[in-house]
Amino acid sequence: MKRSLAVAGAAVLLLTGCGTSGSSEPAAAGGAATIDYWLWDVGQQPQYQACADAFHKANPQYTVKITQYGWDDYWNTLTTAFVSGTAPDVFTGHLSRYPEFAAQGQLMPLDDFVAKDKVDLSIYQDGLADLWVTKDGKRYGLPKDFDTVAVIYNTEKLKEAGIKPEEMAELSWNPQDGGTYEKVIAHLTVDKNGKRGDEPGFDKTKVATYGIGSNGSGAGFGQTEWSMYTMSNGWQYGDQNPWPTKFNYADPKFKETIKWFTGLIDKGYMPSLDIVNSGVGMIDAYGAGKYAMVTEGSWNTKTFFSLKDVKSAIAPTPIGPTGKRASLLNGLADNITAGTDNPEASWAWVKFLASPACQEEIVAKEATVFPAIKTATVKAEKAFAEAGIDVKPFTIHVDEKTTHLAPIAEHWADITATMTETMDSIFSFKSDVNALDQANATVNGLFG
Amino acid sequence: MGSIRWGRVAGWAVLVVVMLVTLFPFYWMLRTSFSNTRALAGGASDLLPVDFTLGAYRRVLGLSTTAEAIAEGGSSGTVSFWLYLRNSIVVSTVTTLGQVFFSSMAAYAFSRLRWPGRNALFTVFVTALMVPPIFTTLPNFVLVKDLGLLNTYLGIVLPHLLMTPFAVFFLRQFFLGINASVEEAARIDGAGHVRTFFRIVLPMSKGPIATLAILTYITSWNDYFWPLLVGKAENVRVLTVALGIFRSQTPQGSPDWAGLMAATLFAALPIMVLFAVLGRRVIDSIGYTGVK
Amino acid sequence: MTSDTVRAAPRATPGTVPDPPPRSLRQRLGDLPVAIMFVLPATIGFAVFYLWPALRGAYLSLTKFNVLTPPTFIGLENYERLFGDRLFWNALKVTAEYVVLNIVTQTVAAMLLAVLMYRLTKSMVVRGVVLLPYLVANVVVALVWYWMLDFQIGVVNNMIEWLGLDRVAFFGSDWAIPTIAGINTWRHTGYTALLIFAGLQMIPPSVYEAASIDGASEWKTFWRVTLPLLRPVMALVMVLSVIGSFQVFDTIAVTTAGGPINATRVIYFYIYDMAFNRFNFGYAAALSSVLFVLLAGIAYLQLRLSRAGESDLRGS
Repeated sequence: MKRSLAVAGAAVLLLTGCGTSGSSEPAAAGGAATIDYWLWDVGQQPQYQACADAFHKANPQYTVKITQYGWDDYWNTLTTAFVSGTAPDVFTGHLSRYPEFAAQGQLMPLDDFVAKDKVDLSIYQDGLADLWVTKDGKRYGLPKDFDTVAVIYNTEKLKEAGIKPEEMAELSWNPQDGGTYEKVIAHLTVDKNGKRGDEPGFDKTKVATYGIGSNGSGAGFGQTEWSMYTMSNGWQYGDQNPWPTKFNYADPKFKETIKWFTGLIDKGYMPSLDIVNSGVGMIDAYGAGKYAMVTEGSWNTKTFFSLKDVKSAIAPTPIGPTGKRASLLNGLADNITAGTDNPEASWAWVKFLASPACQEEIVAKEATVFPAIKTATVKAEKAFAEAGIDVKPFTIHVDEKTTHLAPIAEHWADITATMTETMDSIFSFKSDVNALDQANATVNGLFG
Repeated sequence: MGSIRWGRVAGWAVLVVVMLVTLFPFYWMLRTSFSNTRALAGGASDLLPVDFTLGAYRRVLGLSTTAEAIAEGGSSGTVSFWLYLRNSIVVSTVTTLGQVFFSSMAAYAFSRLRWPGRNALFTVFVTALMVPPIFTTLPNFVLVKDLGLLNTYLGIVLPHLLMTPFAVFFLRQFFLGINASVEEAARIDGAGHVRTFFRIVLPMSKGPIATLAILTYITSWNDYFWPLLVGKAENVRVLTVALGIFRSQTPQGSPDWAGLMAATLFAALPIMVLFAVLGRRVIDSIGYTGVK
Repeated sequence: MTSDTVRAAPRATPGTVPDPPPRSLRQRLGDLPVAIMFVLPATIGFAVFYLWPALRGAYLSLTKFNVLTPPTFIGLENYERLFGDRLFWNALKVTAEYVVLNIVTQTVAAMLLAVLMYRLTKSMVVRGVVLLPYLVANVVVALVWYWMLDFQIGVVNNMIEWLGLDRVAFFGSDWAIPTIAGINTWRHTGYTALLIFAGLQMIPPSVYEAASIDGASEWKTFWRVTLPLLRPVMALVMVLSVIGSFQVFDTIAVTTAGGPINATRVIYFYIYDMAFNRFNFGYAAALSSVLFVLLAGIAYLQLRLSRAGESDLRGS
């Protein structure tokens, strides 16, 4: 009844002559189809537009229309689009979002297509393809890129501290005294009077340059914050990955790592959570020379290297008590919506995005991300090198097999809510690491 | 009298301080918009633009190549500025005219007419102020889509065309203040309600109506999420949506500060010009209103 | 709610003639036919774009609904959950803190500004400048201030240090709520001042002349004459700003995202997070319904206390 009232109301308006200049997509004729494709990263739009052009050339019957939304708008808009049936055919998916969409039947499983076209999943970096298979064994995406974590440092600050770049590549840490890694961080920290963090008389309340920057407490993920430490200390997120049924946030190894890490704040080597929360971002602070080094994901490499007044270099994450380094391996993929009118065309596009023709020939050369295909990674390394950036410290994890698959789990948003609160509280010294017992119980409670 | 003069001086002093606090962030936006985003962090406390460039404005207008844009910490959108400007003007003007007109009609009925159910209905109207937009956005979007109005001007303006609870509430409160005698005089002269409304109430309330129109225009001009949802298509895309690419680019990266500031100033500029041109007239009309 | 909200006091609303006792049908209906014509367009807009979604929201609060699959009816379960939800009560507390801070600073500043503008200058420039912050979208205002208040590189902290004081973590646990209240005060003061200003203009000069003949001081005139006459407009301003203030969201989403440790997890942000990040739309709807009832209650009290339906301006 309400609906008809609404329609009537709108009809009245239409009749009263409010001009419209509406346009709707003409229906596809014959085999031709327009594929609606969404992505959020405007920096990557050019390379995927190039892929779309190449795709159209190879398949003249298909045209790809790319729409970009900023990250914040992207998910709202997508949710609304799902509700109203105006979702795109294909969109860039995210690990933290796709399980929920899949569970609600909004995504199209790709298994039949993959089997039919005999897609070779071994061309991708190990493990990446598994991230896009849900608990019930259905595949929803093919990997398009991957990322790892490394240390990015300010070469000028390093020189002032008298530390050699070679040393940076061989650092190790442990949860007891922090090892050579903490020594370097301490030495890189300088207070207002010019005293370094490891010198007597260092004033930790008046720090001019922190040895290591911070991006916050990392909640339950800690990808660029603490995952490289916890995992090189032999810790795992859950009993299995993907799809853990129990989490290990109360594990002593996790606790001792976090205790050591937050100790850096107490010593004045890393900014407090209040300072971090009162800052627009790690990149800006780093660019202003407030941080000597940061731990960062490979996707931001270019941003750091294009900062005007700071010269940077990259070092691998430190070797931990296990005798190995560690980095999470994460990546994006493209999802097809269940409601698409053109499953065949959408699949052709997704397959193309995940193929060497797009990743190796186009994306790799742009040197913005690492394409998911192994052989394309090499090309991307070369492209970065040509731009004057040695990205080996990021890819070393792949070569040395020290990557750990990013955790992917059900209830991720709820886990994040609990862990944000607890980790923030630990990072601001309002509670100690034993608060993780309660948090872990809450998290595991979600899995009934 | 000395005391009064001192009062005026103090008053002006306060006013000047308020103006400075109001304006400083604008200066900062301006200064930032002429800077190079990549250099901003290094020159964080410089009071003048850092590494002066018009690059941000070139990016906003879609004049720079992608490579140039990325070198300065931004990205290049293709922006048909004049088209989006026209769309923004159409949307804001239609919204303002419709909303102010229909709301003032309703406000008249709620304040100057006597009819059963008047206060109950008005109460219901006002409580709509408290409905969180989260709940109206989704159903309204579905409705607009079902009506086939996605990517049309009508679809963009429809939810705010006939009323907003704010507008009705606002005007009713002002209409209440109108002196009854004037209206009664008109009534005695034999004027009907329609005539009274157009000839007496509207002209007498020029001030509040102008104020409401200005506020509505600005709100409509700045509206972002709704036009993004229903009017992403090029031919109806409004300025805020077109400039939205400067708002949030990468999940964890640093925003294109210079581009964002340039875009913001650019989006606000047309309204400022509009008010500068129309403003004198609007303000004058406010000046002559009031109750006699 | 009853019509009391609007006609709180038994006294007659000026401008409208007191209702005579009903005698005939025609008189009971009053101006109904004309009134229908006048309110119809707005009522259509209201029913379609506000009432219907609100009713739908109320229904959804009784369901388990994750947006993308159909809702299932679960009765009052969401409301039961709400009472035991620590974060909900925290959100109410944080929101209340914010609202009080924001309303007090904003209203006082706006009143001061409006009176100053009214008394000192008719300048277009002044009025334009005052409204400038409102020209900038909420999100951008939040970003600009977030950046200017940055602990390490923000211009404000640089100035503070230059003055020889310690830098302030404006978005740390202690300062976050006052800071956010301050930012929104900056954006809305001019806007609120203009509303009050419009109200001041409706007061006939003759009233002031009378007061000045009586030899009342400026201060006295303000409290005894101006403020009472501004009552309908002030009621409007207060109700609008309290409601708007309760719905603070953008500024927090851009700056603290509810942190640190829930210090700024205001009710609206909590609702949004539940609905769109955690797909708990049913529960979010229940939260909204409670917020709605709360706001309606507050608005009712405000209107009642301020006798909004009348000004003391009587027909001559």
